[in-house]
Amino acid sequence: MASYTDAPDEGRGRRDLSMAAFFFLCSVVVFYLPGGVQERIAAGLRSSVLRPFIVTQELLSRARLRAEDAAELQAQLDSMAARIVSQAPLVADHRRLHELLDLHERAPLSFVPASVIRPGTAGSESMLLLDVGSAAGVSPGDPVIMRDGRVGLVGVIREVRQGTSLGIDWSHPDFRASAMSADGEIYGMVEPRRGIFREEDRLILDGTPFSETLPVGTVVTTSGLGGVYPRGIPIGTVQGLAEAEAGWRKAYWVRPVVETGSVTHVLVLLDDDVTEDLMDLFREEEGS
Amino acid sequence: MSRRVLLGVLVPGLVILHFLLHLGLGLGRVAPDLLTMALLLAAREVGMGPAGALGFFFGLLEDAFSMLAFGANTLALTLVGILGSRTRDLLVGDSLLFLFLYLAGGKLLRDLLYWVAAGEGVREPFLNAVLVEGTLSAAYVAALGLVLFLPFGGREALR
Repeated sequence: MASYTDAPDEGRGRRDLSMAAFFFLCSVVVFYLPGGVQERIAAGLRSSVLRPFIVTQELLSRARLRAEDAAELQAQLDSMAARIVSQAPLVADHRRLHELLDLHERAPLSFVPASVIRPGTAGSESMLLLDVGSAAGVSPGDPVIMRDGRVGLVGVIREVRQGTSLGIDWSHPDFRASAMSADGEIYGMVEPRRGIFREEDRLILDGTPFSETLPVGTVVTTSGLGGVYPRGIPIGTVQGLAEAEAGWRKAYWVRPVVETGSVTHVLVLLDDDVTEDLMDLFREEEGS
Repeated sequence: MSRRVLLGVLVPGLVILHFLLHLGLGLGRVAPDLLTMALLLAAREVGMGPAGALGFFFGLLEDAFSMLAFGANTLALTLVGILGSRTRDLLVGDSLLFLFLYLAGGKLLRDLLYWVAAGEGVREPFLNAVLVEGTLSAAYVAALGLVLFLPFGGREALR
């Protein structure tokens, strides 16, 4: 530790100083680089020097999944089967109503399961690194939901590579989702609010009409407006009134369904069908 | 401890261990900041230039997962490397207390610089990020630094 080696001679000292100034300047430049260039640098490091560590977490994640209690999985399967059976009459009614009203069947959502890799480094707190990428059909803007236990919105995909993708969870400052009360009566916009400690981070449902009141415990889901998140994904439950602007709007605290720290396995909802439908429409219009 | 052992074994070992704990095992904040410790130890052995270069490279590695404030870690660690190297001209000490204070001070400075660079939209309140968590993690890193030095000859390693 002491390294109290001989003091550098004058020439070496000057060279040292210039080199230090150069790297300080480089660090300032890196800080102010355009987002796209920064992302290319980050992606390059992730796929080279840091790749072995990412692979280690992927392997551990898979091993953890394999070690899950088979009895618990069986119980989940049984309860899911029971739910499907109990909903069979509803499906039949739904189909009959569609026929009566001459409505098109909504395209089913397709999804891919993924394991979440948490970088655990400074500045990566609201990020998700997923082990699926463009090869599995994932594209930027795809919503990420949790499939472990309760179903709820986790976040959204931001960048996609061949075998991996990078997303943000609901605690990221850029996260926004158009939301509504579960009964579809009240609409607003959900965004994160930082707590003093990260554990206190929560969501706020802003922009709801002043004349309407949301009781505590009301479930808030995505509204489907804006086209990023499909309608009906649970986001959280109302905890209480956060702020009210007289005669104009109300904002409510929302306790998220998904605690970001507990997310290990997720589903990425793919928008292939929606994109395909839009492309079909586009082609039809071009043809006519 | 010889310069060769420190730079050739301990510093690369700490860097690999840092990413193994944080990234490989996903321990996050539970794991100590061994990257800063490695940089601070190396900075006492090399000149300002190489220490700045090392800090720059370590910062880039840390920033590879930062969508919130890319470059903040790079800036913070480059400065810590340069200032750490500068301390050998200003402060001379071979006691365990000096090592503890040097590592704790360096880590606290790194957290403070990161907090400043990260920007208002991203960072946590100063009280939490620097005073509470920063102080605790600085003490954690410094205490671990002392423990790590024992196998390398303890107090003698400082000479």
